Amino acid sequence: MVKIRPEEIKVLSNYIYNVSGITIDASKAYLLETRFGKLLDEEGCKSYSEFYHKAKSDPRRMLEKKIIDAITTNETLFFRDTSPFDLLKHKILPDLIDVRSGKGTRPGTTNLKIWSSACSTGQELYSIAIVIKELLGNNGNHKTTLMGTDLSNAAVAQASAGTYNKFEIERGLPREKLHRYFTPAGGNWKIKDEIRAMASFRHMNLMQPFVGIGKFDIIFCRNVAIYFTLQDRKKLFDKIADVLEPDGYLLIGSTESLTGICPRFIPKRHLRSVYYQLQ
Amino acid sequence: MTFLKILVVDDDPVTRTLLTKRLINEGYTIDTAEDGRVAIEKLARQFYDVVLTDLIMPGGVDGIGVLEEAKRINIKTEVVLITAHGSVDNAIEAMKKGAVDYLQKPINFDELFLRLDKIRNLKMLVKNASDLREAMDVTEKTSAETIQDLEILVTELNGRLSAIRATLLQEGMAPESRIRQVLDGLDEA
Ligand SMILES: C[S@@+](CC[C@H](N)C(=O)[O-])C[C@H]1O[C@@H](n2cnc3c(N)ncnc32)[C@H](O)[C@@H]1O
Repeated sequence: MVKIRPEEIKVLSNYIYNVSGITIDASKAYLLETRFGKLLDEEGCKSYSEFYHKAKSDPRRMLEKKIIDAITTNETLFFRDTSPFDLLKHKILPDLIDVRSGKGTRPGTTNLKIWSSACSTGQELYSIAIVIKELLGNNGNHKTTLMGTDLSNAAVAQASAGTYNKFEIERGLPREKLHRYFTPAGGNWKIKDEIRAMASFRHMNLMQPFVGIGKFDIIFCRNVAIYFTLQDRKKLFDKIADVLEPDGYLLIGSTESLTGICPRFIPKRHLRSVYYQLQ
Repeated sequence: MTFLKILVVDDDPVTRTLLTKRLINEGYTIDTAEDGRVAIEKLARQFYDVVLTDLIMPGGVDGIGVLEEAKRINIKTEVVLITAHGSVDNAIEAMKKGAVDYLQKPINFDELFLRLDKIRNLKMLVKNASDLREAMDVTEKTSAETIQDLEILVTELNGRLSAIRATLLQEGMAPESRIRQVLDGLDEA
């Protein structure tokens, strides 16, 4: 395996930071080797400098995309931490529907916009879709628009395909839900069309300005800010505050905190879960 | 799980005895069944890491039948099929149905031990991964509780600080009574 030299660690970490916002601790340089070793071979690069220059000089940015796919941690599972999804079902959705259906141009109807802002391979957004399906059924008065975005193209592609292997499926998904919402496909499982059709996925970098995405009623921004610097986390949650409806809800990862990061959000507790709303 | 527990299924007593002897010598724990039916009964009663079964057996339940039942009872049981020389097609069919491996007769014991070693390593890896995951889940759950409690507490304390500030700044009240009011408020909390 090609070894990374100290001066290359700096250059490559900088590059990764610029394309993804992800910070790599100098002490975790071995991570670069384990994550890029195979890619380096495939690209036929003899050193990390060559690899870096190849990525920088490719106008089509193919290698940049591969680097992003390799450096992002796409670890996720269906109904991760359970409680956010219980909260969604028993509090957030009922409350929002109550508030919204009383107002607006067509009383009795709602259109809730929900964003999974680092959706990885789609488990988070599909879990949300399943909750909505179970709560609202086919009630046509309550429309929902579910959007999932992620920086990794490979992750977005898998989310779009909605296909999961047996290890991904075994985690977090109760059997009864597996059989109700998935169909076997080869050795894998594919999300059923009725759930797939509720969601859309696309590529988006949270480090860049949010343009043309509109406003959301519910935003999930879980387990992604942990990879960013404090400064970048502040900017990120400020942008999120800008695109959240005044009475909307923000959910972050169960071990994350916004203390000292974004004073515009106040934490609130419902049973065993914490969610955030704008001041 | 250093040593695998193996169920040997074969209708030929000579093969059965030979397999049993050699595997016990290697340190494996062995149980035997003389046909598919007996194998299924045993599988229903207890867990085996590996089932080593002949493909063709009399009595209605063949190797494929054992394979399907073993997988239905516990997906973690791995099945290795023993096929007659030259019947690779059957073996491939079995692999599609979830067998991990197959061996052709006459059995080459070195090959068998090698395959079993691979299965053992794989099982250990899977176990390590799920142990790690378990440990991570527990850590994550407890730290999440702490972090969320602190998050709410900090917000409450900030609220109280603002209230104190407001009281202290209240004009038209003697400084001393402002202080008293603040202290009373703090005692209450
Ligand atoms: C650990 S996963 C979290 C998935 C899911 N939200 C969850 O909590 O289970 C982190 C995801 O963040 C994505 N990510 C990393 N940097 C990003 C960025 N700058 N913009 C958007 N997504 C990013 C990664 O590609 C990865 O899929």
